Amino acid sequence: MNSLLAVIIGIITVYLAYTRYARRIDRNVIQSDPKRATPAVLYMDGVDFMPTNRNILFGYHFKSIAAAGPIVGAIVAGSLWGWFPALVWLVLGVSFMGWASDYSAIVISVRNEGNSLSAVAHRLVSPRTRTLLFFFIFFYLLLLSGAFVGIMAQVMDSQPRTHLGMIMLVAMGLLLGQMLYRWRLGLLPATLITVGIVLLAILTGSFTEGMFKGLNEFLNSLTGGAPIVTYFDPTLAGFKGAEAKIMPSLLFWAIAICIFCYAGSVLPIWRMAQPVVYVGFWITALAMILGLLGASLGTLIKPEVAQFQIPAFKGWNPQLGPAGIMPLWPMLFVTIACGAISGWHALFGSVGTARQIENEADMLPVGAGSMFAEFLLGLLALLAVSVGAKGGSPVATFANGLGSFISVWGLPIEYATSLAFAAFIVIVLVVTQLIFRVMRVTLTEWLGEIMPPLRNQHLASLISVALAILLVLTGTWIYLWQLFGGANQLMAALSLLLVTVWLVSQGKSWVFAGLPMIFMYLTTVASILITAYNLYFNVTIPNIRAGRILPVVGSGLMVLVAILLVMAALFIGVDGWRAFLKYRKRPSASPQAAPARG
Amino acid sequence: MADDKKPKKGGILQVFKDIVYGMSSHEMTRHAVRTRASMEHLFILITMGDLLGIPILPPYYSLRLLPYVVPQISSWKRRMLREKDITDALG
Repeated sequence: MNSLLAVIIGIITVYLAYTRYARRIDRNVIQSDPKRATPAVLYMDGVDFMPTNRNILFGYHFKSIAAAGPIVGAIVAGSLWGWFPALVWLVLGVSFMGWASDYSAIVISVRNEGNSLSAVAHRLVSPRTRTLLFFFIFFYLLLLSGAFVGIMAQVMDSQPRTHLGMIMLVAMGLLLGQMLYRWRLGLLPATLITVGIVLLAILTGSFTEGMFKGLNEFLNSLTGGAPIVTYFDPTLAGFKGAEAKIMPSLLFWAIAICIFCYAGSVLPIWRMAQPVVYVGFWITALAMILGLLGASLGTLIKPEVAQFQIPAFKGWNPQLGPAGIMPLWPMLFVTIACGAISGWHALFGSVGTARQIENEADMLPVGAGSMFAEFLLGLLALLAVSVGAKGGSPVATFANGLGSFISVWGLPIEYATSLAFAAFIVIVLVVTQLIFRVMRVTLTEWLGEIMPPLRNQHLASLISVALAILLVLTGTWIYLWQLFGGANQLMAALSLLLVTVWLVSQGKSWVFAGLPMIFMYLTTVASILITAYNLYFNVTIPNIRAGRILPVVGSGLMVLVAILLVMAALFIGVDGWRAFLKYRKRPSASPQAAPARG
Repeated sequence: MADDKKPKKGGILQVFKDIVYGMSSHEMTRHAVRTRASMEHLFILITMGDLLGIPILPPYYSLRLLPYVVPQISSWKRRMLREKDITDALG
């Protein structure tokens, strides 16, 4: 197998799924009507509701949903089960479920006056469902932040060559905010200056590698080389399990990342969060475009970088630790999240994108089109991890693979790999700071009424950061990731559940959303329960025996979150089923009539 | 009328430019617009709160400001009175 063949498979998948399936659903089931006025037109306020060109909206939606999910998931799945199952799930997932989830979340919002999924749930299913969704979303964000901070801290700790680039990214983000909003400099020169400097810092990071390595050694010498936390990690020693240590340097980088995210959460958004995202976008876009083109043409130009190195299939149930189980079903389907189907996309699509849809005919190219583009990003990550077998850790494998693809264009391999490492960290970093911001708002809105101190943005941010750090210190990152993946995919299933109920209430065929919903609902609930089992028997029990408090508390917290998520999902499922039966007996008279365009 | 609102056709280059703008800058633009709208709506609330039943300033000043505020009243009312929830923070 080589990367060109995989890219061809990906392109054929996108073409067939879009033209033969998605368009048919849009035309025959949803019956999108370009003459029907959308909420963006009806309620235009120039801010949230604003008709926007479909191409701009495609770029906006894609960029908002394309985070670390498709990349990290493919990396982990490729290393656990091999590239073949990962590729099959990516292809089938996006063709029959992923696009349907993204597209239908936009449709349901557009056809319900631009209301969010939770508001639609309140009206269509029950008020309790809405409250449960809020609860669900907070813990989902917590798992997401813990998983992202954990993997970033590991990469920063082990790759000192990336530090200069990341420090300059933050500095240039702050400078860009100052240039644009205070000095009123034009966007083009400000972009050229800041992106150019960050790119230079990334490419020359190897020159400061020794200095940052020295910093890590100094930090570790503060405890005399002793770890801060020791825990049993079943993913070490070829998945046989071994003692793992959290050294002071790792904690330092985890805290540094959290300070950055805290600042992004409490500072005005123009000051830091947005400019950093903007500068980071150009870095990742450059790496990804060069990588995707390199993966496509590498087979012809530089065949040695395009051959798959990892096994196609590693087994149905790789053994993780003494007591862990990792069956391909359901665990693969939550390990690869965003490249196949994702709840985040549905959440964002219903509140961010749907309110800007100018024309119902745009719902498909924007919603489904962005999901297919995300699939290609996941495919690129899988290709990178499949060809970069010499990397060591999964992230290093990915960076080596992506670096190989970029090197097809003549960039020396060490610089190309530095760019790939930086692209990975940038993607995760910019998303994480936004997640902490949303977590802070969510915590304030959720509990601010009954606990007034939480209305203080600093306190709400600090609590969010502290919870994430606690999850990181638990160790065993892979379970944290799979718990997040389970919550994320379950969110997609719940979104599809709402869409199914809405379709039934409108007297439309519900199969295109209902069948993926049933599959994802069962799969994700099973995966969360298996992860809870793995955590308890692989992490909690061995650490109780060893008398280690922190890993026990952290893994106990994760088990508790897993149980709460499953309970919330069961309640929502029961409410949804009742609503389904109710509307099936007596659908609403006809689809709500919206005024025609003027 | 509807035809006037169609996006201008500029070929593949225009499509590419729109997508890049959407990916790189549209979110920044939205945040800038949202920040301005929040300030404006706060100002209207202070000066024209009685339109929502909140008597704040003597009517004399409200009347002096009214001509400047009229174009924004409908969207202001819509934004102020629209039900919002946690998930709105995501968009």
